[in-house]
Amino acid sequence: MRLTVNGVTREVDSPPLTPLLQVLREELGITSPKAGCQQGGCGACTVLVGDEPRRSCLLPVAALDGAAITTLEGLGGPDRLSAVQTAFYDHYASQCGFCTPGMILAVEGLLRRGEQPNRAEIEEALAGHFCRCTGYVKILAAAEALARGEVQPAVHDPLGQGSPDQPEILVPGSPA
Amino acid sequence: MKVVGARLPRYDGVAHVTGRTQFVDDVRVYGMLWAKALRSPHHSALIRKLDTSKAEQMTGVHAVVTSRDVPKNVYGHLEALGIPADEPLLADGDVGYKGQPIALVAAESEEAAAAAAEAIEVEYEEREPLLDIRKAGDPDAPKIHQWGNWYPHFEAGLDRRQIRKGDIERAFADADRIVSGVYRPAAIEHVPMEPQTALVVPEASGRLTIYSCTQALYFSMGVVAAHLQWPLNKLKFVGGTVGGGFGGKVDTATETVSALLALKSGRPVKWRWTREEEFLCSSTRAPWHMEIADAVTSDGWILGRKMLTLHDAGAYARFSPYGLTKHSFHHTGAYTIPNLHFDGYVIFTNRVPTTAMRGFGVTSVSFATELHMTRIAHELGLDPFEVRLRNANRIGDTSPNGVVYTDPSTVPTILAIADAIGHELAADYRAMTRDPRQGELLPEHLLAQVGNPEDH
Repeated sequence: MRLTVNGVTREVDSPPLTPLLQVLREELGITSPKAGCQQGGCGACTVLVGDEPRRSCLLPVAALDGAAITTLEGLGGPDRLSAVQTAFYDHYASQCGFCTPGMILAVEGLLRRGEQPNRAEIEEALAGHFCRCTGYVKILAAAEALARGEVQPAVHDPLGQGSPDQPEILVPGSPA
Repeated sequence: MKVVGARLPRYDGVAHVTGRTQFVDDVRVYGMLWAKALRSPHHSALIRKLDTSKAEQMTGVHAVVTSRDVPKNVYGHLEALGIPADEPLLADGDVGYKGQPIALVAAESEEAAAAAAEAIEVEYEEREPLLDIRKAGDPDAPKIHQWGNWYPHFEAGLDRRQIRKGDIERAFADADRIVSGVYRPAAIEHVPMEPQTALVVPEASGRLTIYSCTQALYFSMGVVAAHLQWPLNKLKFVGGTVGGGFGGKVDTATETVSALLALKSGRPVKWRWTREEEFLCSSTRAPWHMEIADAVTSDGWILGRKMLTLHDAGAYARFSPYGLTKHSFHHTGAYTIPNLHFDGYVIFTNRVPTTAMRGFGVTSVSFATELHMTRIAHELGLDPFEVRLRNANRIGDTSPNGVVYTDPSTVPTILAIADAIGHELAADYRAMTRDPRQGELLPEHLLAQVGNPEDH
């Protein structure tokens, strides 16, 4: 059986009814999808199957032969955040971080479905994604900023040393 | 002020949004076993027989531990504060709550460990449980704890946390009215998104490396060392990444047993609770029963408070005596009441042990006090904001346990709330500050309690 995960095609040896979550975490070592409840209730294990957010804890891997899976690792790395990752980072939409992978992929899936989603559509997309830290306010603010098209992918430079293809991050109004 | 008020990047923010944050369950080590628990199906029972031999023979099983494998099975989480030990790490002879761990299995998969835990043979003799703190003192209540049905080891041999301040009898004699209320906030489960998880790796040096989701790393280290009867320098704790805790991960829930399994099997062992275990077996915020009777004047002063608190500890003391002590210090809420008679009891029941949760012991009494302030105002026909402002803590007022307030925020907070919701206040209330009481705000009954903040 084959899965393409974050653009890399892998052979999978787990038994056919093994949940995708377990295959990703225990066989492939991809740990951003979390085992929050393992019964489809919390959203922390969410991945994209194609462009569709799905609960990986409820998906038998046999149903996914040949599918393209995206986990949070596949969106953007620490030096180059995707737009959704940038919005979550800039809006402090992540506190303990455990629900964050599922939240980000739910919003990513929503935006891939097309036109600028309104508040009700954002809430619908995040329904069933539990966060016990933030109270959801900052998560919704991040999603709304994305929906308004205000957020672009960002080069991040935590150590302040610049990166080769974009050495400086310029502040708005910079003379440079 | 370069930092206060500035929007600084989260130091762990990039790791969180890229999925690179490594929680305990994300740590990968070679040869790891999975742990599963046999838990009590009964609230209260004697264990007549415990036979692990079948489980030990099952395919994939590497170790089974029971109370016999624990060097020091009964350990008190707060022994260092003088609160004696009563809780076994693994049940020994009897069980005090549904979900209490009795034995644990380490096996090559979660499924194999679960099957072996189910194969452990246990015979129980069920006992009548005590589940309602209000019935703990009834003559026919089941006797459920070695110390009696409530914690008897407060200072001076008292079986309660008590506060006596001022002249309570005079306060009630002078009152225009007695306002009474009973408040009963229920248990709350913390529900961290990350379930309780530990990974323990036995090292060639003889030490243990313990990956822990604890909120209190050095505390948990002490608990594990005590149970193992090991020196601290044989334990290396790796922690600090907590997938939500809210107080529930102050309890050392998984580290110690995982360590025992790792030592017995010689293999790394991970114990990750299911969501069901989190809900059924993990500690909760305590349920409380609070009875308040306040001696009040018709113009809204609170002259005195009598209060009885029952704190549901669950089956064992754990942190409850400490929580009740905090509760007692705060039992007037954010308000100054000069004459007090407070009795608080830590009651044992056959429910899961309760623990810290966001304002340990204090949120319960804040809930009760705020409802009671509004009740007083309604019974007297006064504005609830004005009753609060009149009695609000001021600089120089003293707390129930005699601390002089130097920085109380009650008055500005209540004024800010009134502003936020557009609540009209009379001019003299609108002009209130937190400065020391004087004039009409320092009536005779408050004179004796005023202290000097300079002394504190």
